[in-house]
Amino acid sequence: MNALQLFFLAGFGLAAVWFGWRVFRTHSMVRSAMSLLACMVALGAMFLVLQAEFLGVLQIMMMAAEMSIMAFFMMMFMMDPGGLGNMNMTHQQKPATALSAAVAALLLALLLSTNWPAPLAQVPTATQQNHDLGIELMTRSMMIFETAGTTILVAMIAAAATALVYPPQPD
Amino acid sequence: MALPICLSIAAVLFALGLYGVISQTNLVMIMMGVELMLAAAMLNLVAFWRLLHPHTYTLQMFVLVVMTVMALEAAVGFALATQRFRSRGSVEVEEAADLKEEGV
Amino acid sequence: MENNNTLPTTLLVGLLFAGGVYALAVLEYWSVAGRLAWARPVRLALKLLAREEIKPRQRDAVFYETAPVLLLAAGTLAAAVLPWSASTPLLSLATGALFVNAAFAYAMVALVLGGWSSNGAYAMIGGWRFLGQLLAYSMPMVMALTATVMRAESMVPVQIVLSQRGLWNIVYQPVGFGLFYLAALALAFLPPFDLPVAAGELAGGAWADFTGARRLVLRLGRLSLVMSLAVTITVFYLGGWQGPGLPGVVWTLLKTLLVAASFFGVGHYVSRVRYDLLLEWSWKYATPAALLNILWVGILLLL
Repeated sequence: MNALQLFFLAGFGLAAVWFGWRVFRTHSMVRSAMSLLACMVALGAMFLVLQAEFLGVLQIMMMAAEMSIMAFFMMMFMMDPGGLGNMNMTHQQKPATALSAAVAALLLALLLSTNWPAPLAQVPTATQQNHDLGIELMTRSMMIFETAGTTILVAMIAAAATALVYPPQPD
Repeated sequence: MALPICLSIAAVLFALGLYGVISQTNLVMIMMGVELMLAAAMLNLVAFWRLLHPHTYTLQMFVLVVMTVMALEAAVGFALATQRFRSRGSVEVEEAADLKEEGV
Repeated sequence: MENNNTLPTTLLVGLLFAGGVYALAVLEYWSVAGRLAWARPVRLALKLLAREEIKPRQRDAVFYETAPVLLLAAGTLAAAVLPWSASTPLLSLATGALFVNAAFAYAMVALVLGGWSSNGAYAMIGGWRFLGQLLAYSMPMVMALTATVMRAESMVPVQIVLSQRGLWNIVYQPVGFGLFYLAALALAFLPPFDLPVAAGELAGGAWADFTGARRLVLRLGRLSLVMSLAVTITVFYLGGWQGPGLPGVVWTLLKTLLVAASFFGVGHYVSRVRYDLLLEWSWKYATPAALLNILWVGILLLL
């Protein structure tokens, strides 16, 4: 990786961390969801810098819908009109801060003290990657991928069944 | 140099997600924390794929599986939240203590 | 990722796109009033620029400024990967077809942000309606594109055009074309599907509270969205630049304008769809049809 790629990698990474932090610092739920969307898009941009083109574009595409839906449900449950939000939705501030700081410190200490092998400079081209990923999905990892598909179907049915309105049952 | 950068950012994102999960009272906000943690895992996978094993596509496939998990988590979480909102008019987890059985 | 974004190509594509958007502005008025007023877009733009800017009270300042720009960006970004001729895609991405979808997804985000940030009930309902509309159109759209990708065995738009050398995709997979056409109308919120900005029932909907320059950027963003969608249909279903005699760029422009004119024409004859019906039709009929279309293309490919 050359210096320019490293610069963009760190830049998008810092943007992701900043927006990830903003998610829990705003007083408005739609702003939280949109901060999360910005964080996810920054991550997608990092994937693009890491030359995982398919995953990067897929991430940017999927998160647009997912985070908007998140904002929508927030609106539905919390009645949060534009620009008026001013509410506190936190508890256990101190243990949460302490625990997450401890976890971050532990992870950072671990990964910075590890002696990572030298990164490989060469990756397959994006076209080659798409082809090989398709072959991987259709041969060795087929069962896993198909299981993911079935799981989506089960979750869709379960979610619909959970959210339905049931008439009161006579005892 | 690139690998520590990616891993540190993923570690910080994971910690942020953890902070959100513990400190937020709203179910949807907690789900956002979970999404952040999963996103950190995805970043790790992509970084390992690119910098250590660029010819092992299982890593890329695993990212797809994590994306699926994110979508499923959202779907099932929203279903639970919707039902909870219907019956109690709130998705605050502190008010969900009545789900606990009496005397346990 | 090899790029041919040299200055002449960039200028050519930019000029073609801008000219196309201008022609679309004229065509839009033609679909309403029935005559071609060539100077009207300029007059309208100047009028909007000169108008007083009324901003809603207690708006969400950041999103209010972001939404119009985001819509314009979503409308124009896709144009970077779409080829006008064999050598003109500005950015030759290996995942071009997916990139087009990703760019269009942000049109929805822009309208949701715009509707929410202006802090008015009608605007907000309009924005959220477009989110519901996304659930209706995105599935058929992505699946229809998947079938064209299957035929080309590549997600590169140039390859998809080249795969239609013998037979255009509109003949090869007519169901996919129909689904994509309708989904494109819904994505650009054009008349039969103009639920988010419905003039009669929501008083302007998602962009009701935008005036002056912001309104101009929103209108421009919508027109470039229509333009990008028309180019997408040309590239993915109408054989792109292929045609006898004329140079490829001219063919693409002609087909694009024809598609765009038909977009505007449809709204002249069809009344607005109810949004619950839209969702019902999409999930009960369009999504299965898209799956059958994939099966159909798969069988044709194996034959």
